[in-house]
Amino acid sequence: MPSLLFEIGCEELPASACREAEAQLRERWLTTIGGEQGDVFVGPRRIALLVTEVPERTPDEWLQGPPENLWEKAAEGFARKQSVSVDDLEVREGFLGLVVPGRPIEEAVPEQLEAIVRGLAFGKSMAWERGGLRFSRPIRWLCAKLDKKTIELEVAGIRSGHLTFGHRFTGGEVEVPRADDYAETLRAAGVEPEQEERRRLILEGLDEIGGWRDPAGVIDEVVYLVESPAVLAGSFDERFLELPQRVVETAMQSHQRYFPLEGARFAFVANGGDPATVIAGNERVLEGRLGDAHFSFERDVAKGIEALAEELDSITFVAGAGSFADKAARLQELVGELGGGEASREAARLAKADQAAELVREFPDLEGHIGAEYARLAGFPEAVCSAIEEQYLPDSADGPLPHTEPGRVLATAERIDNLTVAFALSQRPTGSRDPSGLRRAAIGLCRLAVEGGLAINVAQLVQRDLALLVEQQAEVTDDPSDVADFVLERLEGLLNAPVEFVRAARAGAVTELGAVAQLAEALTAQASTEEFEHAYVAFDRSNRLAGKADGAAGTLDSSLATDEAELALIETLGQASPRIEAAVAERDFPGAIAAAAELGPPVDRFFDEVLVMTEDSSVRANRLRLLLDVRDAVGALGDLSQIPR
Amino acid sequence: MVRLMSAPTYQEMIASLERYWADEGCVLMQPYHTEVGAGTFNPATFLRCLGPEPWKTAYVEPSIRPTDGRYADNPFRFQQFFQYQVVLKPSPDDVLDRYFASLEAVGIDLQKHDVRLVEDDWEGPTLGAWGLGWEIWVDGMEVTQFTYFQQLGGLELDLIPAEISYGLERLAMFLQNKRSAFELEWAPGFTWGDVYRENERQWSIYNFEEAPVDALMRRFADHEAECRALVERSLSLPAYDQVLKCSHAFNLLDARGAISVTERASYIGRVRNLARAVAELYLESLAEPAV
Repeated sequence: MPSLLFEIGCEELPASACREAEAQLRERWLTTIGGEQGDVFVGPRRIALLVTEVPERTPDEWLQGPPENLWEKAAEGFARKQSVSVDDLEVREGFLGLVVPGRPIEEAVPEQLEAIVRGLAFGKSMAWERGGLRFSRPIRWLCAKLDKKTIELEVAGIRSGHLTFGHRFTGGEVEVPRADDYAETLRAAGVEPEQEERRRLILEGLDEIGGWRDPAGVIDEVVYLVESPAVLAGSFDERFLELPQRVVETAMQSHQRYFPLEGARFAFVANGGDPATVIAGNERVLEGRLGDAHFSFERDVAKGIEALAEELDSITFVAGAGSFADKAARLQELVGELGGGEASREAARLAKADQAAELVREFPDLEGHIGAEYARLAGFPEAVCSAIEEQYLPDSADGPLPHTEPGRVLATAERIDNLTVAFALSQRPTGSRDPSGLRRAAIGLCRLAVEGGLAINVAQLVQRDLALLVEQQAEVTDDPSDVADFVLERLEGLLNAPVEFVRAARAGAVTELGAVAQLAEALTAQASTEEFEHAYVAFDRSNRLAGKADGAAGTLDSSLATDEAELALIETLGQASPRIEAAVAERDFPGAIAAAAELGPPVDRFFDEVLVMTEDSSVRANRLRLLLDVRDAVGALGDLSQIPR
Repeated sequence: MVRLMSAPTYQEMIASLERYWADEGCVLMQPYHTEVGAGTFNPATFLRCLGPEPWKTAYVEPSIRPTDGRYADNPFRFQQFFQYQVVLKPSPDDVLDRYFASLEAVGIDLQKHDVRLVEDDWEGPTLGAWGLGWEIWVDGMEVTQFTYFQQLGGLELDLIPAEISYGLERLAMFLQNKRSAFELEWAPGFTWGDVYRENERQWSIYNFEEAPVDALMRRFADHEAECRALVERSLSLPAYDQVLKCSHAFNLLDARGAISVTERASYIGRVRNLARAVAELYLESLAEPAV
């Protein structure tokens, strides 16, 4: 059985487009051709498919017509439409129909290949002719072979042929004699078509050089940037090693896709050229970039971090919320409020100094890191420097938290302030619009509390921050109190507890983020115990009756109680209530549930034996009050009615 | 590495590009008389790329970017540098081969060097423009931006042009093996620094320290109003100059640090709205030529 090759020749595709095409060819298109096995080749100038053991004919297809019971009415029409006689129709599984015989594969393939070209979808695509086909980059040739035979097709004005192109500058035009010869033909023309082989060659080359690192993970991109990988190494002036390490790495990796080596050396993957010439050129480029960075670095260091911090009053943080100096002042207060010590306060004072640094303007993603390095150069204690470095952590939903306590404190203050400022200036996120990443900031706060163990009382911190903003004469246009709810809502997706339990816990007596999280998890853990059931019953029955009723007394008057069950409930409440309160205050939530559970049986008995809505209004008012007191005592554990039973 | 005997001077390199693209049938234009941040803003690109008429042009464009000035202290950053801008509308199928041949024309041996096309999605927010293409690297040095325009002034294009923007300083630094643009040999006996060092120093002072903020804000508003008035009177070409003047006033205000992050987006939006109005008017005027 024959092999089929189809190559779409393109101008240089982005690495992301290569990966998209590779996935779609494997998942969707290999199988539609119907071969036994296949290979997908993807690189900057080509997207190709090689299917082996392609059947000589396409399978017969069953074209289903009207149901069998409509034979008399519909058979003739159906047959006419298909240009066959009624005698050719068959019946299968209760339907009329027609077996459409398969076609020779040569006839079917051009349509299938055209469908591939038109079906490949890219995140970003372009047209290169008016109203023409859209693709990641322009298609310049198509090569289609069924064994030795060239398959003819035309898509968007491009006619297929038997030719492919080797390396852009050394390979030229080459003929593919047979589909199965595709890879070898290209190798002879200076192109390694198999992406996994290119990756292996690159890794082998890097390992031969040794000591390579890839902190930004550029290898997955580099595989798709070259067709003829040559791994080379170069060096740069050692004076650049005094730059912050991540500045050097960023210059290498995000700009140039180089791999840092030990010392003042780097490795990179070329796509051709004379090695000595190419190395010298790349060294010059990297030195240019590092020289540019070093120029800024020297000017920053000559000023020093204290002088940079003094420039902050002329740099706007957010229009309406003052300068970065104002922000630093707020952060210093907030870290104090969070119980931070000397290191946290010093870190808060210097946290934003690097916003005045020239180097941060060149490497904006390295804010924090650059400030920390400048603090180190100025001789600040490591606790201060690492807190400055860690202030933006976690920077993604599952990114690492700050490792140090002052870092966690500063990171918390940073997020509280960002949220408070945005809400106070009426810049709440709406729908999918969240340009300043406030949802991410709120999730970060939750994680700092839950995983980082920091006590974060959002409402209290927001009020403090708001007072500072007002003192600084910020243009406050809105009450930011709802920041607390905005943050607590993020717990719902974060904890190992169903949403209803988190919602229940948010209404309890604890407001500190970590405590709300613990309460939600304790409720979840106890949900199927008998104790929880009792506590739930006590809450739910008393809440159902008294929660919406009018006319409850202001305080409970035991002297109005006459019934035995009523007196028993009052007595149990008197014992359980302080125990629940104390246990909740100590975050002993299982203990609080146990204490609340004691109210279950007396509440049940109360409802069995006592008529609440009695004629005597003062007795009725007192009984409603009793139930509300029960509800509120158990309610320290949250709004249990949120929890589905 | 010693400088090759054959390395062209800055002006020889430009002359080679002029000759090459003239032979390719381009209309050789001259720099525009109003400050622009890139050759794309020159009406020979922005306006000529609209509409159904084919167009080929090539020209040197001084790119004025006030925030990039460094008082002539930094060998890599300038508030004025030069682009060589080529537009081929529509882009021919072998446009990349023609571009590579232009590199050979200035003396780059394509087999000896590592020439790479690295993805670059271009966006010009003040012009309502975007396109896809590449940065073109020679041994890791970005010497050209290549873009297939997809939209200009927010409008779809009748013919897809290829825009080729060479960074002349970088290309010359590559060819002459220099680590600083100031050291480039412009003409025998004259360096780039001889010609432009003092210019960089004085304009950096002006851009960062002296440019009058209040007057620039007024000028921005005046140019905006004049642009609107000219659009009303169907004078798309003078109206377009007002767009450029707004854009330059905005760039100066930016260099003076007079625009906050939130105001920034609004200024950019105002320039984009003007560019769109002019582009629409220009297209209409193509459809109904004046008598």
